[in-house]
Amino acid sequence: MSTPVLRRVVRRETHSPRTVATFVAVILLIVALVYIGLEIVLSLAAQPALLLGPAAAGGWLIGLPTAQPAGLVIAGSAVLALLGVIFVWLAVTPGRLSKHILEAGDRAVVVDNGVIASALGQHLSEETGLARENITVGVGHRSVDVTVRPGAGIPLDKSMVQSAAELELETYRLTRSVRTRVRIDRPDAKEDEL
Amino acid sequence: MNTTNRALNRTLLLIIGLLFLGLGTVGIAIMSWPTATDIWTSAGDDTRSWLDQAIAASAIAGGNLSWIAVGAVAAILVVVVLLILALTSIAGRRSKTVFRSSGAQNPLGRVTVTESFVSDAVKNSLATRDEILSTQVTANDIRHRPVLHVAVTPRQNTDPRELVDHLDRLLTNLAALTGRETETYVSIHTGLRARLAHDQRRLS
Repeated sequence: MSTPVLRRVVRRETHSPRTVATFVAVILLIVALVYIGLEIVLSLAAQPALLLGPAAAGGWLIGLPTAQPAGLVIAGSAVLALLGVIFVWLAVTPGRLSKHILEAGDRAVVVDNGVIASALGQHLSEETGLARENITVGVGHRSVDVTVRPGAGIPLDKSMVQSAAELELETYRLTRSVRTRVRIDRPDAKEDEL
Repeated sequence: MNTTNRALNRTLLLIIGLLFLGLGTVGIAIMSWPTATDIWTSAGDDTRSWLDQAIAASAIAGGNLSWIAVGAVAAILVVVVLLILALTSIAGRRSKTVFRSSGAQNPLGRVTVTESFVSDAVKNSLATRDEILSTQVTANDIRHRPVLHVAVTPRQNTDPRELVDHLDRLLTNLAALTGRETETYVSIHTGLRARLAHDQRRLS
């Protein structure tokens, strides 16, 4: 992944373009502007307003602090502010997608986290001898969480699972190093008694 | 890869977000903070009287029509048109290009490789591998350079490194065959198809 072109491709493929959020925001703004424009045009043409003419809307806005029910106005404002916070948050955060980059010489390789998780789960299943459905792997940007359910009475060394997972992840040659966390999930005594 | 203008996306999102946040905050403030209520009411009255005077002063031919209202409609129209134009850019188009690569001249002539040849070659080579559910090969134009995109969906539990190494050998051999190394981007996907497909390979 040595060339600027491939770096650009990888950057674009591993980060969200925020298309849906922008689409929603722009459509909301267009609808609001079209409504305001329509009310002004109807007022200019001396036609009855759709909801509230410009003069009445101005009066309503000035008298908003005394508008009833106040709770509804506050709730509406809070929803608008929350929507604004969400849009601003989406605009400024990187929006990393659930993908990892693999080292591959001159080529750029991007792999879904789900592919890594299922491959690692399969490998750990083969290493530990446990059924595949008893191993859950979650792959994030910086960490890999492995949960193993060996069942009652089956001995399993946590450090062995940890080292097996780390060794396998090394063979994948991810460009970003990840921290591996292993959890051995054994059924508690009460369940055993049942 | 598509040509979505991501900077425009985020700029629009930021501007509209700040607008909504500002309006919402003002709404909450004037309802719950007496000082803000007073400022709002007095500013509203001042604006209304200024607007009434401005509308009266800009009346068209002494009628009910005002240049200010006409200007407001025109401004809204311009902003709406600009937003619609931005929407078309947001949607983005695929940066697909017609891949055509010509090798060096040799005594027998020149070999020209097209996208469909590369696509078929890669797909056919991968078709023999049972752990691969689907392959898609496209050529994209990125900064005026052709970039091959090989998208692969393997079965669940497939080792991604093995798959990448295999694809790397395949693409290296293809480059040797065609006489030209093209920048290549490989994406390995999971999805509904991978989840629904049996994770065990067929034994034949």
